[in-house]
Amino acid sequence: MALAQPPATPRFAGSIRLAARQFPRHRAAMVGLVCLVLICLAAALAPLIAPYDPVQIKLSAKLKPPSFEHLLGTDHFGRDVFSRLLYGGRTSLSVGLLVVAFAFVLGVPLGLASGYFGGRTDNLLMRLVDAFLTFPPLLLAVALVGLLGPDIQNVMLALGLVQAPVLARMVRGSTLAVREEVYVTAARALGAGPGRIVISHLLRNVVSPIIVQLTVVFAAAVVAEASLSFLGFGTQPPQPSWGRDMSEARRFLGDAPWMFLAPTGAIMLCVLSINFLGDGLRDALDPRAWRTRRAVEPDKR
Amino acid sequence: MWRYLGRRLIQVPLVLIVVSLMTFLITRATPGDPVQIMLGMQTSKEAADAMRAEFNLDRSLPEQYVLWIGKVVTGDLGRSIRLNDTVTSLLAERFPVSLQLALAAMLFALAVSIPLGVLAALRRNTWIDYLCTGYTVLGFAVPNFALALILIYVFSIRLDWLPITGIGSSEAAAGGWWTYIKPFIVPAVALGTLQTAMLTRLLRSSMIDILSQDYMRTARAKGLMPATVVIVHALKNAMIPFVTMATVQFGYMIGIQVTIEYIFAVPGMGSAILNAVVTRDFPVIQGFTLVIAAFFLFANITADMLYALLDPRIRY
Repeated sequence: MALAQPPATPRFAGSIRLAARQFPRHRAAMVGLVCLVLICLAAALAPLIAPYDPVQIKLSAKLKPPSFEHLLGTDHFGRDVFSRLLYGGRTSLSVGLLVVAFAFVLGVPLGLASGYFGGRTDNLLMRLVDAFLTFPPLLLAVALVGLLGPDIQNVMLALGLVQAPVLARMVRGSTLAVREEVYVTAARALGAGPGRIVISHLLRNVVSPIIVQLTVVFAAAVVAEASLSFLGFGTQPPQPSWGRDMSEARRFLGDAPWMFLAPTGAIMLCVLSINFLGDGLRDALDPRAWRTRRAVEPDKR
Repeated sequence: MWRYLGRRLIQVPLVLIVVSLMTFLITRATPGDPVQIMLGMQTSKEAADAMRAEFNLDRSLPEQYVLWIGKVVTGDLGRSIRLNDTVTSLLAERFPVSLQLALAAMLFALAVSIPLGVLAALRRNTWIDYLCTGYTVLGFAVPNFALALILIYVFSIRLDWLPITGIGSSEAAAGGWWTYIKPFIVPAVALGTLQTAMLTRLLRSSMIDILSQDYMRTARAKGLMPATVVIVHALKNAMIPFVTMATVQFGYMIGIQVTIEYIFAVPGMGSAILNAVVTRDFPVIQGFTLVIAAFFLFANITADMLYALLDPRIRY
């Protein structure tokens, strides 16, 4: 199959189109994408798919192993594990997406400003980022959520605050590299203001690493939300949540292993899919990766 | 290099001041009054006020911070509001436990990643390489508390080989070395798996990179034993980024133990901070985060120094 040769000076829309053509070649990434779409659909359509009410207590059916009646068994209150899994996915995925959005809105402008203006602004912002990164992310989130009060909004806020500095530092690094490019100097010589340079020249050219980093943030947020809920700082019972449900399953490890295996599997599948998707995007958005792969394995894909 | 080290060490107090200011502001800006949590709702106003005065909580925020940091410089981290003890003596109890768990996890990570990474690089595209890839991919995807539950289920409940709790308990301390080490195994594996995945992947790729270098062919051509070539020429060079990353990750480990300490009832730093956060024990939160941040900073500086020591090409 003939591959489109990347043009000598790739335009923005052109490079995205090329990446879109490149992406389906990455088999693991496609599997990841399909899985992620399925997980999202399952969570979004939970009210239609779920066979039972996730918070409905039925003590006569407690700790039942998987059967046709209850696909993944029931928990210690007789609640259907499969239904809770579907509804729990809504929490995890929406927290993940909102954390990504929050980290983007906070981290990208900071990184761009730091990288573009340099000097004292850069120094101040980066020292602040350093201080943030000295805290282990989970501990910072625990402290923030614990002090603000265990609540899903606070979880999102805390995780966004934890992830934004990472993104800001990465965007700053990429911006620094792009800032000295000839086309930026040319734009400035043509009279473009800082706003125009930052948005249409810098942001455009650092967008690929940002996209890849956002998949990392998404996976980290899903795991962090589960960890916080596991510790009792996130979603509060009886609301279904993967992390919270695992914490409750802890007391029934020997009697009802399906209770912790189901959410564990869901989290792992979710994170695996996101990681594969991220790997695929990294390769697809990096023109150098295409050439090397073609050179090593001609026409194999 | 020594000048570089000096410059880095001078920066440490500065970063720590920013860190301490951040924790201070976070604790004070959030709702929840430690005195009320400690004494309950029904206490008299006088008793509450007396306690606030004892911990300087009745003073203005800048005053509180200056008083606290002034004592920190002399090595006094204050007293816990909740527990009748100083923060330093709490640290003396908790820090060694966390450090031991971190060391155990790191030992596990090294013991697995070095042979696995080297073998996978030597035998590319064979079953051992696929095993390595599978292990790293799964290691990156499984949250440590989920892995902990799986390990408990298999090794403690089904097989009944290893205990779940017991780190830092008096029975473990009274028994022989095996009774002391046994409770560390499951938590250490659960904690160290992510680091194992990272280190294995790093070692495999740097080994592959080095094995294709010209000097490897030269070494083989001049008739050196294959083992010598791999260990002395390849592994020694591949260890440079590996050692740096392992050191940085080690600095991180004390801070990421929270969930593991919670599951295995480990009396370490993480569970102490967890309790302190719930009860708004400000001095404990401030003191413990400061120590964790300092530990992380020193691990980072050590990593940079090791990098320069191991690789003569690096000059600071």
